[in-house]
Formats: sequence, C-alpha cells, structure tokens
Amino acid sequence: MKIPVRLNVNGETYELVIAPYRTLVDVLREEIRLTGSKKGCDVGDCGACTVLMDGKPVNSCLVLAATAQDKEIVTIEGLAQNGKLHPLQEAFIKEGAVQCGFCTPGVLMSLKALVDDNPAPTPEDVKIAMAGNLCRCTGYSKIFKAVAAATRQP
Amino acid sequence: MRFELLQPRSFQEALEMKKNYRERAKVLAGGTDLLVLLKDGKLKAEAVMSLGGVGELNFIRSEDGGGATLGALVSHRGVALSPVMQQRFPDLAEACSQVGAVQIQNLGTVGGNICNASPAADTAPPLMLMEALLTLASTRGERRVPINDFFRGPRHTVLEPDELLKEIFLPQVSGRRGATYLKLGRREAMEIAIVGIGVAVHLNGSDQLVSECRIAMGSVAPTPVRASAAEGVINNKEVTNELIDEVAEVAAEAARPISDVRASAEYSMDMIRVLCRRAIHNALLRARNRKVEGHS
Repeated sequence: MKIPVRLNVNGETYELVIAPYRTLVDVLREEIRLTGSKKGCDVGDCGACTVLMDGKPVNSCLVLAATAQDKEIVTIEGLAQNGKLHPLQEAFIKEGAVQCGFCTPGVLMSLKALVDDNPAPTPEDVKIAMAGNLCRCTGYSKIFKAVAAATRQP
Repeated sequence: MRFELLQPRSFQEALEMKKNYRERAKVLAGGTDLLVLLKDGKLKAEAVMSLGGVGELNFIRSEDGGGATLGALVSHRGVALSPVMQQRFPDLAEACSQVGAVQIQNLGTVGGNICNASPAADTAPPLMLMEALLTLASTRGERRVPINDFFRGPRHTVLEPDELLKEIFLPQVSGRRGATYLKLGRREAMEIAIVGIGVAVHLNGSDQLVSECRIAMGSVAPTPVRASAAEGVINNKEVTNELIDEVAEVAAEAARPISDVRASAEYSMDMIRVLCRRAIHNALLRARNRKVEGHS
C-alpha cells in the first residue's frame, strides 16, 4: 500500500505517494527526477548516492524515503546557488577532478559537508571525509588538489 | 524488499507497536545493516518499525560523578565528536569513529550496533570494558542488563520479542584509567573488523603497577567476549614486556576465530596477539599521561 510522503529537497517541497519500502535514492531519481545522485552499490559502500540530510552526509540508498519526511535534504542539484557554482564545483572543473563523473556528485556532497564544518581542511581531514566515497577512475589526487584550491586561504 | 512501515512518534508508542507485532516487526534504527539484509533477501520482514521519529532517544547525557548515559539512538558520529565522550570514554569514541565512514556514522546508531549483535560490532568491546548497563524496555516495564550478559550468539541477544533497547549507562571511570580500541581491517575505513581489541588499564600509584586490566575482543568468537583469564595475568602486577607477551598469549587462547572471507583463523590468532600487545601499550601510555586523580 502506498503512503503519502512529503519531502523537502533543495528547498522545494514535494508531495508524493510512494511505497513505504522505497529508498531515498530511488525516490529522488525516479519520482522527483533529480538524477544527479547516483546509485552504485545500493548497500552503503560506494558513496555515489551521498546527499545531505539536515546538513550531514548520508548514503541515500540506506534511508527509506518515508523516514526522510521532516528532514532538509540537499542533493548535488542544490549545490549551485542562484546559478552560481559552489567553489568546490569551480575547483573540480579547473583542476580536472572529474573523470567518468559517476562518483562526483557524492564526492562533492561529502566535501561540501566537510568545508561547511571546517573551512580549511588538511589533506588528512579530506581523506577521512572521503573515506566513504569510491572513485573507480582512482582520480583521488586531483580531487585533493581541487579541495586545496577551493579552500586556499587568501 | 517489501514491508509495512511503522513510524512511532514516541518511545511509548514504539513499545506498544513492538508488543503487538513482536518478531513480525524488525526494528530500524540507522538502517545501515537492516536495509542491506532486507535488500539482499537475507532477512524477510512483514513490518519494519522505524525509530527515526523517536527523537527522545537521541542524546548523550553526562552524569554526576563522571558516568554518562547514551540514548539508544545516538549516532556513531554523535559519540565520535562528543567532547564528553572523547574525554571520558576515548575507547568508545575511537570505536565509533572507525565504523564504516562518515555517511555510515551519521546514520548508524550505537543502540543498533549492539542490538544487531554482530560478533564484529565495533562498539561492543569498549562497552564491555566499561561494563555498560543496558536498559531494556517493554510495556511490561524496564530491566537493566549488563552488556556482558546481553549477547547470546551471532545476531542473537537476550532482548525479548516485545522489548526495545532504551539507553546505555556508562558507569563512571575514575583514577588513572587509560583505554583504547584497535581495529584491524584490510584498509582504514569501510571495514568490518578482522579483529577488534579493546583494553582498559588502571594504574595504582606507580606507573608500572596495573591495579586492574580489562580486555574485550570482537570478531574472534560467536559474540564479542571479555578475555578474563588474560586480565588475571596482569592484574596487580608490575608491567614488563614479557608480562604483556604472556597476556596476549592467554587472550588468544580465549579466542575461537573462524576462517572466513576476511581472514583465516590462523591469521586472526596472530593478529589477536599483536593487537592485544599494542592495545595494552596504548592504554598504559594513556593512563600514565593522566596524572590527576579522579576524572576531569
């Protein structure tokens, strides 16, 4: 039996009627049609589905959409503000930190949570923040360079 | 994965639902384990009860005298980043910061980790070191169970079908106590422990005399276990490297690791010795650095 669920995603409210066992990543992608969040392993290992829930990065494949009601969800589509890319996104482009791109949305959400808490992270901080995001292209060093560029103190 | 979803808005309501559904309702705390099992089809559930709406169980309360109480739904990340926990119970904070990675730590809860009763549960060894008391609740009332009596086997605990874990009481730690949790995986993050060892030592007067040592081990037997015989080897003794070697030998004798996808039993046995020695040294160092009597 489907149930009504109200989700707050990137500042917009969505009134949905969905099966109670559907995960947040599936509902984001298939109902709300925000396909930026990727579904990789679907068991919380790869981090491609990472979104922010009340400001904290979580695997959206391990969250039932119905339990995310009342939470503020931010996906990769909500990272740019007023048509202006986030400094991390700018740095990713400039440093070539995107290869195939599949991990990029999840990586950026993990890094956004990091720099929100810690505006000047060390490489070790970046490692810890990104430990749950796998890049099959192994493009980690350029990702690290991009974070350094985006957070460089003036 | 298909089920009815129960979403109680209070702990009392959750207890009523659990009373009605009993085993038919699986309890969803963080979901990092339950949803994986359900998706794999390794577990079937008629109903899933999400505790996400029971905000009253998401707390860390420091108690007078140096203890603390954790609500069952406090997240691993909540414990890892808590100054009170880092200061008073660094071994538990360390264990929580080694569960999965940040995304998993934000979802997963200490209560879920315990109730899941995996032999590899990272929070179990530290909680066993401090002899945490679990408050189990049902509509019939509450009871307190020491964590050392809580685990019955892999994924099996003393929880009755109508019971839920409410909170975890951590008794005060006093004096010159040093504690640590070391976890071995193939890499640093996103790992299920091959071996996890927690050690707590109390120093009495001299830096060399251990008045009490506790050792708890994960992933080495069907449940997390205390290594009581090994603890007896070091209690009230002057510490030497030879003594620590002996403790590690005796601790390994208490272990019954199995060969599995992560490691062979032989390798696990070797690593128990190595980690045990390392954890004792670590705990001793921490205790020695704590010069002031009493907690702070």
